[in-house]
Amino acid sequence: MTMTKKGASRRSVLRGSAALAGTALVTPHFFVKNAWAQGECATVGNFPVEGPTVTFGFNVPMTGAYADEGADQLRALQLAQKHINEGGGILATLQPLALTGQGVLGKQVVHVTGDTQTNPDAARQSARRMIERDGVIMFCGGSSSATAVTRQYLAQEMGIVYMHGLTHANETTGVDRRRYGFRQFFNTHMTGLALGPILANEYGGDRAAFHLTADYNWGHSMSGSIKDATEAQGWNTVGNIATPLGATDYSQFLVSVLNSDADVLILNHYGNDMVNSVTQAVQFGMRDLQKNGRDVQIVVPLYSRLMARGAGDNVEGVFGTTNWNWTKDNPGALAFVSAFEEEYGFPPSQAAHTAYVQCILYANACEMAGTFYAPEVIRTLEGMTYSGDGYDSESLYRAEDHQSFHDILVVRGKAPSARTSEFDLLQIVDTVPRSVVEYPIDTFPGELGEYCPA
Amino acid sequence: MSTTSDDRSAGGIAAPAGDRGGILEVFKREPVALAAFTIVIFSMPLWIPVLGGYEGLATLIVIWGIFVLGFDILLGFTGYLSFGHAAFFGGAAYVTGFMYRDVSDNVIVAFVASQVGTLILAVVIGLLAMRRTGIYFSILTLAFAEMLFAAALSIFAPLTGGYDGMTRLQEPNLFGVKMDGLTIFYIAAAMLAIGYAMALRLRNSPFGVMLRAIKENPMRLEYTGINVWRYKMAAFIISAHYAGVAGFLMVTYEPYVATKFLHWSTSGEVVIMSVIGGVGTLVGPIIGAGFVLYFQNVVQAVIGEQWRLILGLVFVFVVAFLPGGFVDLARMVWKATGNRLRARRHNVPDMELTETKYGTEERLR
Amino acid sequence: MNDLFLTVLAGLQIGAIYAMLALGLTLIFGTLGVVNFAHGALYVIAIYAAVQVAINVDFTVALIVVPLFLFVVGVVFERGVIRFFYDRPHTDQILVTFGLAIVVEEVAKWLFGANNIPFPRPDWGDGVIIFYGPGAVIPPVPVFQEAPQLWLPFIDGFVTFDYWRIILIGVTIVAVSVLFYLLQFTRFGLIVRAGMRDSDMVQFLGINIARRFAMVVGLGAAIAGVAGLFGGPILGVTPDQGMKLLVPSFLVVVIGGMGSLAGAVLAAVIIGLSLAFTADNPDIQAVIIYLIAVVVLLFRPRGLLGRKGVFE
Repeated sequence: MTMTKKGASRRSVLRGSAALAGTALVTPHFFVKNAWAQGECATVGNFPVEGPTVTFGFNVPMTGAYADEGADQLRALQLAQKHINEGGGILATLQPLALTGQGVLGKQVVHVTGDTQTNPDAARQSARRMIERDGVIMFCGGSSSATAVTRQYLAQEMGIVYMHGLTHANETTGVDRRRYGFRQFFNTHMTGLALGPILANEYGGDRAAFHLTADYNWGHSMSGSIKDATEAQGWNTVGNIATPLGATDYSQFLVSVLNSDADVLILNHYGNDMVNSVTQAVQFGMRDLQKNGRDVQIVVPLYSRLMARGAGDNVEGVFGTTNWNWTKDNPGALAFVSAFEEEYGFPPSQAAHTAYVQCILYANACEMAGTFYAPEVIRTLEGMTYSGDGYDSESLYRAEDHQSFHDILVVRGKAPSARTSEFDLLQIVDTVPRSVVEYPIDTFPGELGEYCPA
Repeated sequence: MSTTSDDRSAGGIAAPAGDRGGILEVFKREPVALAAFTIVIFSMPLWIPVLGGYEGLATLIVIWGIFVLGFDILLGFTGYLSFGHAAFFGGAAYVTGFMYRDVSDNVIVAFVASQVGTLILAVVIGLLAMRRTGIYFSILTLAFAEMLFAAALSIFAPLTGGYDGMTRLQEPNLFGVKMDGLTIFYIAAAMLAIGYAMALRLRNSPFGVMLRAIKENPMRLEYTGINVWRYKMAAFIISAHYAGVAGFLMVTYEPYVATKFLHWSTSGEVVIMSVIGGVGTLVGPIIGAGFVLYFQNVVQAVIGEQWRLILGLVFVFVVAFLPGGFVDLARMVWKATGNRLRARRHNVPDMELTETKYGTEERLR
Repeated sequence: MNDLFLTVLAGLQIGAIYAMLALGLTLIFGTLGVVNFAHGALYVIAIYAAVQVAINVDFTVALIVVPLFLFVVGVVFERGVIRFFYDRPHTDQILVTFGLAIVVEEVAKWLFGANNIPFPRPDWGDGVIIFYGPGAVIPPVPVFQEAPQLWLPFIDGFVTFDYWRIILIGVTIVAVSVLFYLLQFTRFGLIVRAGMRDSDMVQFLGINIARRFAMVVGLGAAIAGVAGLFGGPILGVTPDQGMKLLVPSFLVVVIGGMGSLAGAVLAAVIIGLSLAFTADNPDIQAVIIYLIAVVVLLFRPRGLLGRKGVFE
């Protein structure tokens, strides 16, 4: 085979491709914005914000097991945008306040939405799309700790602040905490601290508990915290089965519970999972059974009004905790509830409340810092004490872990006869003050990371 | 049967006489195709924003392009429809993630580790799955992939992060060069170009001819004394490695391992992309990947969540009426506008399948 | 003993839905030789039709309407789509039915949303059933007093189970028996069975096999309809139910033997029981059905009760 004639053509092709590749590499990088960003970091996310508007990303579950919570969050976020742009809501009660009800830093807030599908992969993809394609300066929302944690890492990498929605696992501000993430919602440790003594008081100090646990980071965090809290009161944990998130059929797991000698069933489930598991537990006759000479009880450590609605009469007398409830009557709560009811015709859930407050807090912090530049906004939020956000006492955004501390509520499902309306499903048993649940910073080791995106 | 060249393997498709060239032969044989391909791919960051896309999308298209190209080598060349290629994509992704999280943030180390893992996986699955053909092969690959998915989420959950996916990865870098934006794009694009060149070379090589013979009639090939099993395994392993490289690139681009990478829906996506683009055409898979991803990310903003419905309809249409995919469509348009298709680089003149009274055979145009 | 009994019940109930889907699948494959990846889509159509009729009219009406509707859908599916793919390679059949499955799922999502539509049980199917043994004392709780009660000699005390799931098991047994009767003792069944052996020969004998093919697909779809009616309240009504059930159903068919009806039922029972008995150990439970499938596919590819020579 002769090589002489062909040698020239092959070389020229190789040369040509190399030349092309070289040209492509030195082509102006369309995607390096922020060549002249202020201060410490080379580039930070989508800063600076050009034009008369600033874009927020509302990244909530519109499908999947937690879709109901997501729908309520979206309503609340749109309401927050309206109040930022026009005034109203907790702008009347929030202290300290820099917002004027005319947008943020002279710009009107607009938003884009993304569906997390209650799934961390989809959540991360949709968040990334909002950042890269739609140019958001901040994104907010979510209803599962798995989606929360992975998006928090994304936020840190891309330099976009992420104001968490509903995330309850310890990891979010524990081992997985990140500089660019902030959580207003409480965590499973706080639930345990609040619920443990009340459960022991109500049901006795020597119960045998069986856990059914949603198989992802929140579920494990929840069962761990409840296990610690109840065993500290003298209970025994006889079993713990991990159930797939989004499972609809719990029969096999309930059979295992029936086969054991447990007399308390702890459902570490949320959203649709909880609706199904509670309903099916009742369908298996569990609430009418007796074990060890006592009535079998069910506990749902994390409650929501939306879930209670879905489960109907099955939640009567079931204990749990929530981050907030619309029946609170402090000025902040009243302002938010009335605005929400006026807009949508029904009271907001805890998911709506946390999303709303987060969005307003972020806008407020930007206004206070005088810039959208993330490191400055972050510093403003760190260590901030504020009030008028819907709680009786003052709230704190702890600087060391970006966790917000405030009162939390222990609740119990109401009997149908005790309900004053179709939304009055939960009875507040105890308002646990912030001082009781403000745990020391070294409870959960973790690193916040840098102020610059990495 | 055709009666031209006497250097023939099977099925009337002659191998080029005396083809002893190595991989670089492809630059000699197909310089135009290679150059055109490289130009189009490398300049993607320039023209994709014009179509409404963004840089991240270009990288995704290139990565999935590699994945689907490998899948197409198996389906298009040998006719084996694997519904479990996610096992190699996800497997390599998890190994890469494991490297970045616990071992080293060096890209080369992770690459080597992920490919070693892919090889082991491909050999194990191939040894077992390739014993069967047709629908049984497809279901076997599906079962293996699902088993791996289930195991990753349950038995290996402490290692993989379970349903949460794998997070807390260190930032991957190539001796200090960070893997962001255009850097990772060009690395991926380079690998795609290499992969394409290899596939092109394979197709026109004696090896590729063997594979096509296997697709047509494996038993007949067996009777001629050729070790069919080795060719099948080789094709399977090569195809798996494309998926493995794509998996590695995916985690290097986005430092997070999604549970979806192992799920059979990912295998399904690859099938859809390959069929829409055009099975066996090598360029088709990449077109298919671009088309599907474009739909998913750009068209979605316009028509909302119904994009998947439209895509499904397109897919069904293509399977039913346009089996050669978009490449075939392009060919038909090209011919319809009066152009002749250029001949394949064989030592035989243009041939096409024609109906005769003895059946279908290859005849001169 | 109670534990064993309850676990067996749970296993039978899990296997029941797989059994009905697998029966349809294997029937279609055995007669037409078509691999129907759209069978899950038939189930999706069934659950949405069932829930709409049950909520807006009555469940008893749905009981009659849904299987009939699915039968028609099946016939249309065969005449309109499958018919054109008999001569095309298996890969094409898989691809087109897979594509149709996606389209059906997306249409359902578009029309009804992606979230679960609660499918309430009818009054006569609600509540628990009580199995009790010698000397059992049933507490005077209304839920228990009103429930159907069944005495079994080996029960210690009493156990409760979800009544609807027992009904599901019963319905499956009835459906399987009806199908069996149809195929063994009717002329139609005779033709179908002959067609499963050798469809060309049947045609040479002058029998219009094409019409029977359409009815076979309709029959398979109707069984999926029954599965949807009784499985919907248990598994929920979402568009992705079809795909979720398809993979295990296929594995059941393959384990039992493609084309073998008894095999499908047997494999479904085996799968259901293995899932129930490993419920305490989620790690094993997650992989058990794939393990069984792989072992069967490797060492007895025709399946437990399949015919030799099919695809070996």
